[in-house]
Formats: sequence, structure tokens, C-alpha cells
Amino acid sequence: MIRTRRSSVQLDAALLTLLFGAIGFIGYRVTVGLHYNWNWAVIPQYIFRYDEESGRWVANYLLQGLLTTIRLSLWSGMLALLFGLFMALARTGRSLFWRMVSRSYVELMRNLPPLVLIFIFYFFLADQLALLLGIDDLVRNSGERLQSVIGLLFCKPEQLSAFLAAVVTLAVFEGAYITEIIRAGIQGVERQQWEASHALGLTRLHALRYIILPQAMRQVLPPLAGQFISLIKDSAIVSIISIQELSYQGTQLMASTYLTIEVWVTIALMYLLLTFPASMGVGWLEKKFARGRA
Amino acid sequence: MKSAEGKRKELIIDVRHINKIFPGPIPALVDFSARVDRGEVLVVIGPSGSGKSTFLRCLNGLEEIDSGTIIVDSIPLDDDEKHRLEIRREVGMVFQSFNLFPHMNVADNIGLAQRLVRKKNRKDALVTTMDLLHKVGMAEKANAYPAELSGGQQQRVAIARALAMNPRVMLFDEATSALDPEMIGEVLEVMMNLAREGMTMVVVTHEMGFAREVSDRIIFMEHGRIIEQGETENFFLAPEQERTRRFLDQIL
Ligand SMILES: Nc1ncnc2c1ncn2[C@@H]1O[C@H](COP(=O)(O)OP(=O)(O)OP(=O)(O)O)[C@@H](O)[C@H]1O
Ligand SMILES: [Mg+2]
Repeated sequence: MIRTRRSSVQLDAALLTLLFGAIGFIGYRVTVGLHYNWNWAVIPQYIFRYDEESGRWVANYLLQGLLTTIRLSLWSGMLALLFGLFMALARTGRSLFWRMVSRSYVELMRNLPPLVLIFIFYFFLADQLALLLGIDDLVRNSGERLQSVIGLLFCKPEQLSAFLAAVVTLAVFEGAYITEIIRAGIQGVERQQWEASHALGLTRLHALRYIILPQAMRQVLPPLAGQFISLIKDSAIVSIISIQELSYQGTQLMASTYLTIEVWVTIALMYLLLTFPASMGVGWLEKKFARGRA
Repeated sequence: MKSAEGKRKELIIDVRHINKIFPGPIPALVDFSARVDRGEVLVVIGPSGSGKSTFLRCLNGLEEIDSGTIIVDSIPLDDDEKHRLEIRREVGMVFQSFNLFPHMNVADNIGLAQRLVRKKNRKDALVTTMDLLHKVGMAEKANAYPAELSGGQQQRVAIARALAMNPRVMLFDEATSALDPEMIGEVLEVMMNLAREGMTMVVVTHEMGFAREVSDRIIFMEHGRIIEQGETENFFLAPEQERTRRFLDQIL
């Protein structure tokens, strides 16, 4: 026991040395080979900037991007969960029509590149639907208060329709995977649980609500959380429609500063800041539920 | 339970000529008819795969019949979903594998259907729940989760859960078959008390001593057909069919 422990520590140390060695070597090659001028010092000012007018520190490009990514992920995550739950219920329900609807939805989403979806949804939702619903006018004519609430919850008011299109696209896309996760969870609950519910005279809806779904959700919490991490990463794709999230801000900043490596390493760290705690949370959940079942 | 003679009989379960075929060589039920009066205890015996469970499961619509009629407490079990729900509310069922809800504690297992189906408020439901838990000797486990209970304890809770709906008929499908021998007695005792109180029961069991003591009538079936049926004493003392005698010899 102690022996294996010590040797695994030695192994870790060796691996870490190797890793840092590799990083150092790459850094060296970039510097020497590409004549790259490192300039880390300017990066912090793209995270925070001092606002002369108000005399306060405010978020700059990168931090704004991070906040947009967080908002984007939270909204589309919640919406995707709703889609997924609804479609999973449709898929496991009794109506052949709804089963087919759900199945087609999942297959369609899984067999299309998300990029294509984004363009279709963006031009349809942001241009047509938003126009139809008059979102832009509504926002433009709304008061200062409402505009600042929108800014806090979503994005800059003038970009709201694009932002909503992005949220819906991501939600529809991730919703397909969530559908499959929840469907597996529902079907994973023993058939006898349905029978016990039916024997008591519970309706199908009551059985689902109180007996089946609570057990299914326990099982699927870890994979759901994993899917949420995927969503955070996948959200980078909406930079293509100029949503000013983290990756978009990265491309902009890179174009104006030429500090390619500094910018993208910083951005990578910021993504890790979001996904790593989430991963740890998933690990914790998995352990917790594994113990609960034993 | 052996009822006092002279009382007027009231038909609770009326099954006529039902057929049920699963994909496979042997039909589960063939032209099967049975009647159970109020307060009567009917025991169904037969070798494995003879259709005993299928019969019970047809009675509350867990299994759909291919043809024939089933009437429970004057309600026909037909395509009408309302009838099916009504019947299920009048019929309690206890399974071989208990099937408690693992994510709820004992009290909620018993209280849930009272609130959802019988529309009782939380307080009234809890009163009934605790009464029933006392009755099956599980009152001190009201807050335990199913996984923390022994098999015998789980089955007693499952019986209480079915009784909480105040059913007019109870169905038992090998309620003690999954139990360790030392726990069989406690569950049989609860069932025995129920029968004494006049509950109408249809019981599938391999416990012949118990069957003999508790039942008014016995049905012996094989390959989905009734081979022989009769009043309990006669059935055990003088079975008519050769097949019945062989089965009883084997099992007793
Ligand atoms: N869901 C099902 N699908 C296919 N065949 C089934 C199904 N349920 C039961 N059967 C078949 O129907 C027949 C009757 O089964 P049933 O479970 O009613 O027998 P049983 O008398 O309860 O047996 P046991 O004593 O083993 O519980 C058997 O041949 C069985 O294989
Ligand atoms: Mg059986």
C-alpha cells in the first residue's frame, strides 16, 4: 500500500517535470524560432480597465466575453433541459406521433453540423422571427430600467435578437443530447415501479411525476452535468454570428493586438475556470450517487 | 376466511372465459373463468409458468386480455381508461419483489397514493398511514427508506401501502417467495389477520399449510387452464384429478 503510494508520487513528479519541460521547450522554440515577442503585461488591461469617468474598475473585452459566455450557457442550458425533458417524455410516451417527432428531432440534430444549424437559426430567428415579434422595437422603445435589466441578464440591448437566436440554437442542439440522456434515465427505471404505481391507481402522469422521473433524474444527474460542460465549450461556436462571447472577443483582440498566444492562453484559462469546477462537481455527484446505490 | 353460512353472497370478481396469449408456445390463460364473493379467500396454485401471475395481473389491468370479460365490483374492465383506474383503486396488489418506491421513506410510500388518488390532505393521510404501520408492526420504521429494511419488513410495508387505498379486494402474487425462511412467518401472519378481518383476497402461494388454513376455495391450474377447483377441505382431502394429486404429492 505505502509502496505503491510512494511510487505513484514519484511517477507524478516525473510526469510533471516532463510536462513543464515540454511547455518550456515550446515557449523557447516559439520565442527563438518564430521571433515571437512575448508581451504578457498588456493582457490584464483587457480583463479589467480603469474607467476615468466613473473612477471605477470595469470589465473589459475578455471579462465581458466571459460574462457573456456564462449568460449564454446558463440560459441555453435551462432551455435545453426543458426541450430535453419534453422530448424525452414524448419519446417514452404512448403517442406514436410524438414518439416520431422526438425521434426525428434527435436524429436531425445529431446528424447536422452545429455550424449549419446556427446559420439557419440565426437568419431565421434573428431576422424573421424577431422582426415578427418586434423584439428590437420593443427593446429600443423600452425605458432605461428595462434596458439595464436586459443588459444584466442577457447582453447589450441592441444585440438582443441575435443573442436570443444564439440561446435558442444552442438549446435546440444540446437539447437533443439531453433528450437521449433523460430518455435512457426514464427507461432505466425498473418496469415494476410503473406496475406498482398503476396497481395503486395512479394515473400515468402522476406515476411519471412522483415515481419515475425522480428516480430517473437521480441516475442522469452526472451525465446531465457533463452535457452542461459540453454546452459551455460548444457555446464558442456562436462567435460565428458575432455574439460577443469569450471566443469572439479573442478573435477581435488577436486581430487588433497580434498577441495570438497570450490572448488564447488567457482565454483557455478562462474556459477552464468555468469547466473545471463543473467537472469536479460531476465527479463529486458521481461518487455520491454511486455510494447511495450501494 | 371461512365465512358464516347464510349470509347473502355478493359477487366481487367475475371473470368469464378470458384468454391471454404471449408470444411463445404455451398460452398463459385459456378460457379461464373464476368468481370470488365478498369476504372470500381464493388461493391459486399450480406449477411454474402455469399462468397464476398472469391471472392476477389481468384482474387489475396490468395485463390486457385477448378475449373474455372481467368485472370487478360491478365495474367492467374494458377499453375505458376510467374503468381501469376505478378498478385499480378498489384492488390492492402485493408483488413478489415488494416494489416499494426506493426514493421515498416508508411513510411517503404509504401516503402518496392516499393524497394523489384519494385526495386526502397530508394530515389525514398520515393518520391512516400510522394506523396501518401499527397493524403490520412497522410503526417505528415510518422514516426509514426501503433499502434500510429487511425483505420481510419491506413486504409488510408493501401490504400497508396497498391497504392504504382502502381496497375491496387484495391480490397477493407469491408475497413470500422472495423472502428468507425466517421472515416468511411475519408476512403470512399479516395476511392471515387480513383474512380474519373479512378482506376479500386472491392469493397465489406455494405455502400449502398457509393456503389450507387461510382459504375458502382453491384453484389448481396448469398451462393456463383450471385443472381442478373446490372448497379447501375437499380439495386437499380428496382431489379428483390425477394431475392434482401428483402436484400435491410433489409439493407437500
Ligand atoms: N411479459 C411476458 N412476455 C412473454 N411471456 C410471458 C410474459 N409473462 C408471462 N409469460 C408467459 O406466460 C406463461 C404464464 O406465466 P405466469 O408468470 O403467469 O406463470 P406463473 O404461474 O405465475 O409462474 P411462476 O410460478 O413461475 O410465477 C408462461 O409461459 C410465461 O413464460
Ligand atoms: Mg408468477
